[in-house]
Amino acid sequence: MSEHSNTEAGSPPTSSRAGSWRKRLLPPKRREKLSPLKRREAISAYAFLSVPLLLFLVFLGGPLVATLGISLLEWDLLTPPEFNGFDNYGQMLSDLTARAAIRNTFVFTFWSVVLHLGFGLLLALAVNRAMPATLRYVLRTVYFFPLIISWAAVALIWRYILDPNFGFLPYYLEKLGLALPNVLVSPDWAMPALIFVDFWRTIGFTFIILLAGLQGIPSHLYEAAKIDGAGALQRFWYITIPMLSPTLFFATVVTFIGAFQIFEPMFIITQGGPGDATRSIVMNIYETAFRSFEMGYASAQAVVVFLVIMVITLIQIGLSRYWVHYE
Amino acid sequence: MEGARGFRAKTISRREFLRRAGTAGFGIGAAGALGSLSISCGGQQGSEGPAPKGTKVSGELTLVYLGTAEQQEAWKALFELFREDYPDVQLNAHGIPADNWSAFFDTVSTQIAGGKVPDVVQVATEGQRLFASRGLALPIDEYIERDKDYIEEYYNDIHPNLVEWNKKYSSLDGNTYYLPGEFNTMCVWYNMQLFQEVGVDEPTDDWTWDDFLSAAQEITRPGEVYGMHVPPEYFTGIMPWLLTNGASTLNDEWTESTVDTPQSVETFEFMRSLVEKKVSPSPGGTFDPFSATAQGKLAMFGGGRWPVINMRDLDFVEEMKIVAWPQSEGKGSPVGWNGYPIMKESQNTEAAWAFVKFIASKRSSEYFARQGGTIVPPRRSVAISDAFLSTAPEGSEKLYEALDYATPIPSPNEGSVIEREIIDTTTQILAGNVDTKAALGRLDRTIQSELE
Repeated sequence: MSEHSNTEAGSPPTSSRAGSWRKRLLPPKRREKLSPLKRREAISAYAFLSVPLLLFLVFLGGPLVATLGISLLEWDLLTPPEFNGFDNYGQMLSDLTARAAIRNTFVFTFWSVVLHLGFGLLLALAVNRAMPATLRYVLRTVYFFPLIISWAAVALIWRYILDPNFGFLPYYLEKLGLALPNVLVSPDWAMPALIFVDFWRTIGFTFIILLAGLQGIPSHLYEAAKIDGAGALQRFWYITIPMLSPTLFFATVVTFIGAFQIFEPMFIITQGGPGDATRSIVMNIYETAFRSFEMGYASAQAVVVFLVIMVITLIQIGLSRYWVHYE
Repeated sequence: MEGARGFRAKTISRREFLRRAGTAGFGIGAAGALGSLSISCGGQQGSEGPAPKGTKVSGELTLVYLGTAEQQEAWKALFELFREDYPDVQLNAHGIPADNWSAFFDTVSTQIAGGKVPDVVQVATEGQRLFASRGLALPIDEYIERDKDYIEEYYNDIHPNLVEWNKKYSSLDGNTYYLPGEFNTMCVWYNMQLFQEVGVDEPTDDWTWDDFLSAAQEITRPGEVYGMHVPPEYFTGIMPWLLTNGASTLNDEWTESTVDTPQSVETFEFMRSLVEKKVSPSPGGTFDPFSATAQGKLAMFGGGRWPVINMRDLDFVEEMKIVAWPQSEGKGSPVGWNGYPIMKESQNTEAAWAFVKFIASKRSSEYFARQGGTIVPPRRSVAISDAFLSTAPEGSEKLYEALDYATPIPSPNEGSVIEREIIDTTTQILAGNVDTKAALGRLDRTIQSELE
């Protein structure tokens, strides 16, 4: 690749096609002499950039490359690592626990995206209606509030709420004639419970983003539509959704990525149980690495998670062309 | 002091540390050979065998033990005793404030992985065989031989069963790696006041499951007062019921699963019935038996020595009594004990051995009994003395007496995985999510495949 492109770069364009892509992709090659002021500006720009760049390289770029490398090794941190090619990736196919974890993660992610986007939008629409500013402020705070509580505390709160012996939720539901099962030890209910708890904690984030998006839609569009005789549903469908689409797209991508990397509620509330019913793939990576000390296998799983997230995000970006409207 | 059974929450995968540390051990061996590890210096290295008797002990010594912040206070005072005896040894004791052995082992193995190899580690029964089999520990037979008189005096004062079990179960290669140390057995702790208020006869050491059930049911007021706590925990919740019904999780050699024998199925059905009848709270919640007891919401729970700390904190020692576990087929209790293996990589094995002997001494044993409180001292002379029995519930001597009929907690090398499976299945059974017999059949096959 490099040899090929070097020759190409060194020789004049052989066809107009090659010239056109180059024009599109490469900046014109001209050495401008920078004025002292511009040079100073450039230096300070790079100086500002250097810190985040360094942080990126140390904490993201480096580990990413290392993970790729380690995923090809058999390594327990102590004995010298051994190269074992793609065995770690093959192992995943026959590992029932890893497969269950991946399946759980997809289930969790699906419901997380659907619930966050659906209810986040409903809440945002509700709060965006005409209402006293104070009330809006209070509502915004209330919905956002759980997000600032740490997962450990949230886990404890919900363990108490759902406690089969003295939790208030089972207690009052029973008074209403509804028997709540022992949710956190039930293979059928544990995952829905975690999806709900996660929803409760993080809905505020989606809500705030969507609310900001809604508030950015110019009101004259609605007024014009009203004059043209558009009903509420039509205004929602033809104005709100298209105008909100960049925000919705952003919220979808971010929620998806966050949900696919879910770890804390599984780890703290159910420890992945009962059985493997709530084990997420990131939790499985952690346990593979720091319980079984199989660094290579854990890295391979991490690479797979990375690829899944990347591919699905690229698909979303590709699809966004059809429904996201940037003004 | 915190000990083999000094845990309350999750007893899962305590052995996992050993599995890992075992792997670590190979690494340390390799790394050590390359000279990349340098740890505490002082005396001579392990492989050279013991020095002549009477050699002066000096140098640095590193110990890793399990202890929460409060418990570490007691430990520190204990180490002062050691420093009085061995003023030339610089003892660095690292208490790891873990809630359970699993977390403790996680930390220790990470430290070992990072090249911080201690001289002595506290290891419970669950990890002893694995620890020995991984070649991490130094055989101490030559040291025992050299200090025969001291060890003989010690062995004469501890229960013969403890010596025998330690020999039979702790290692399979014929070497000795541990002196059997402090232990825990399981008995029933009950709130005597609650029994008297309801007008139920207090239990005796010969009581049966039927006696137990009728007493528990009489005291139970559904949703308000529970008769007994039946947690899905291996040592504290599952084993005592199995053993008093002539069942266990594994056979005597720890080579075959026995979880689906008729007696075992019957045991789990009985445990489930206690939850079903609301005699016990359901699993999966945040029930704390100690505070519930002090609030008068729980009549009985299973325990070894460790609840004494909580009962003292709650000022509830006087109200409590300890009695043998109710029996169906016969008396039974699991038992687990501490060992203090010397690491093979230790650079100061003489000081490490001095510490092992110190822990076994009467002086330190008495101190444990008074201060630490969470474990039964191995010396009979201490376990039935005032040092152990004062400021403890009436009947505390039954914990030592249980050694007569106890069974070592089954702990094969695959124990951590097996234990997790057992706990998981028991949780499902207690919660009523599965058919008991079918679930135990599945569990049996899982355990068997792990063992093979």
